[in-house]
Amino acid sequence: MDGKREVTVRCKNLCKTFYAKNRKQDEENEVIRNLNLEVRENEFLVLFGPGQCGKTTILNILAGLEKASSGELEVNGKQVDGPSSDRGMVYQKTALFPWMNVIKNVSFGPRMQGVKKEEWQKWAQHYIDLVGLTGFESSYPVKLSGGMQQRVGIARAYCNNPDVIFMDEPFGHLDAQTRYLMEEEVERICSAEKRTVVFVTNNVEEAIYLADRIVVLNDMPTSVKKEYIIDLPRPRDYTSADFLALREEITRCVEVNEEG
Amino acid sequence: MKKSKKYMVISIISMICFLVLWELATDVFHVFPEYSMPSPIKTLQAFVMKLTNTTPDGSILLVHVVASLKVALAGYLLGALAGIPLGILMAWYKPVDLFIKPIFDLIRPIPPIGWVPIMILLFGIDLKSKAMVIFVSAVIPCIINAYTGIKQTSEVHINVGKTFGLTKFQILGKIAIPTALPMIFTGLRVSLGVAWMTLVAAELVAATKGLGYMLQIARTIGRPDIIVMGMLVIAGVGAILTGTLEFLEKKFVRR
Amino acid sequence: MKIKQKGLAFGVGALAIFSVFAIWFYAATYTKVSLFFPTPQKVFSRFIETLTVPIGKYTLQVHVLYSLKRVFVGFGLSSITGIILGVAMGYSKTINAIVRPIFNIIRPIPGLAWIPLAILWFGIGETTKYFIIFMGGFANIVLNSYDGTNKVDQTLVGAAELLGANKFQIFVNIILPSATPYIFAGLQVSLSTSWMAVLAAEMISSYEGAGWIINMGMNVGDTVLILVGMISIAIIGFALANIMRVLERRLCSWTERGK
Repeated sequence: MDGKREVTVRCKNLCKTFYAKNRKQDEENEVIRNLNLEVRENEFLVLFGPGQCGKTTILNILAGLEKASSGELEVNGKQVDGPSSDRGMVYQKTALFPWMNVIKNVSFGPRMQGVKKEEWQKWAQHYIDLVGLTGFESSYPVKLSGGMQQRVGIARAYCNNPDVIFMDEPFGHLDAQTRYLMEEEVERICSAEKRTVVFVTNNVEEAIYLADRIVVLNDMPTSVKKEYIIDLPRPRDYTSADFLALREEITRCVEVNEEG
Repeated sequence: MKKSKKYMVISIISMICFLVLWELATDVFHVFPEYSMPSPIKTLQAFVMKLTNTTPDGSILLVHVVASLKVALAGYLLGALAGIPLGILMAWYKPVDLFIKPIFDLIRPIPPIGWVPIMILLFGIDLKSKAMVIFVSAVIPCIINAYTGIKQTSEVHINVGKTFGLTKFQILGKIAIPTALPMIFTGLRVSLGVAWMTLVAAELVAATKGLGYMLQIARTIGRPDIIVMGMLVIAGVGAILTGTLEFLEKKFVRR
Repeated sequence: MKIKQKGLAFGVGALAIFSVFAIWFYAATYTKVSLFFPTPQKVFSRFIETLTVPIGKYTLQVHVLYSLKRVFVGFGLSSITGIILGVAMGYSKTINAIVRPIFNIIRPIPGLAWIPLAILWFGIGETTKYFIIFMGGFANIVLNSYDGTNKVDQTLVGAAELLGANKFQIFVNIILPSATPYIFAGLQVSLSTSWMAVLAAEMISSYEGAGWIINMGMNVGDTVLILVGMISIAIIGFALANIMRVLERRLCSWTERGK
């Protein structure tokens, strides 16, 4: 894409190995090997890879929730050393605070930073409206459906106004119907308010539908295998010839990956 | 690994500090008066003394322990043998549930210790009355847990049983009871704790033998060393009982 | 359908209770049981009578109020200290490492086994009773608060960190609320052991209270009085358990169970 846009996330030679102590021997589990990645401002980047390829670990490291074993990681020119509110996360299992209603969940970030009540109420209401949950402000998460919970999660990440939002297979637990709907919603939300997004998925169609750029990952130890720049016009059509051709190509790329 | 070692060291130091402070506060600086608080050393001496000596309460420690255990286990086993089947029947057969539940709800809010006076009036001060009290204390958690356990059986599993042509009774035996087993064991564990505690209390109120009786006599003649030693023995026996049950649970319940 | 089932349940339940009383009445009137067991009418008329005619120093309801006051003081103290200690142990591994060994010695000692020592320490006044009730409920509250704090979902903690919450804010907004259902489970169990502890304490050394009534009944061989005492004990026990349940439903409305 245009090289003029600023780089928001940059990671260089990122490695991660887990050490587990067994009764018999020490086990080493190399999850990430020399991952190089750049995410530009307002780009929608999809990390696409097979089942258990450490995608969540990558996001956790990018977010600062886990430490890399070696390598460099910068967000907006600043070294990452722990979680901070510059980075937002949307989780697969929503991770909403079950004891807070929708508006309290969405406004959590601003409230913790000591924003005045009138202010955070306004912001939270804005994002609740944006994700289409108007009227559910005082509902508790248990009472919401999976799709609605995920909308709250997205609004919560947005409302904290981070530099980059990480989305970790946010629709992995939803049924197919809701999933399509949510993909359209994310498309709509992201074009209404541009943000830098790193989106992890193992669903090809979801990747092509949403991405500005797709990074295909190798299986363990994970590293970048190939990149695709997706410049199909939005909103995209799942059945267009270009879409199907891309799907074919990316699927084949992963299959080769799995065989090799 | 290193971290857990660090915490272990902290624990050991803390334990030693506790014992040293206790010793200093009693034997050395007499912060607590001697008639109310024994030193750890005196407590240990009391333990050794009671192993062979029958004063002041007429029996050696082992006799008290056995006396208490006998009553507690008798009542407990009766409670488990009656409570678990009853809980299962209530959960599995609706009419039984409807009939027994209200009676059960009448009895449940009375703490076991509240049964001591009536049982002693009805059955006298010997083993029988106390075993009855323990029975009441043990039967309630057994019923509740067996009941809840059976009720947790998933509808899908029951339907699988039905499609394979099992009778209602077979489904109970092959599907519902295995599902309920962990809960049943929880019930057994809870009621063992309650039974042991109730027994000690019952012996404090009315007994002629047993650990509770030993404590009561020690109090009336002002022997805090025997009291504290007795409390620790009660705790120890209780811990061994629960430990045994947990061991059995691990053997029988696959999680 | 539902209403019909409810009606059936009520009918069978009423029949069950009725048959208990019928058997009691029959046995205590026409069989040998009558030699040592009173009839239900006798117990109920005595129950009504004791509401106005004192047993010992006070009427029945005053005795019950004495017991309740003791439970609330002792249980209140054990709740506050138990929650603070348990949460601290769950939150800090160092505090846990310091307190755990001492706690593990005290925990298996049944609350009621403290009675003789408590009497030596504090005499037979109110302090002794508060202390016994305190010890009766304390261990359970500590354990449950510890569990609740320890089992907090780390994903939620991470999510809060990413939204910019500091340690204190995470403690107040994430850890405490997620521990609340566990703490409540502990409080519920502890309230019922506290109710048991007050009875035991009153049976052993007291001049008033529900435990004193049944103990008095035992000492003078008055079965009717014991049964009157047991009925009031059951009523209060039932009320306490239900108050806790209502409170829990209010405070933990966000859990699945709360639905």
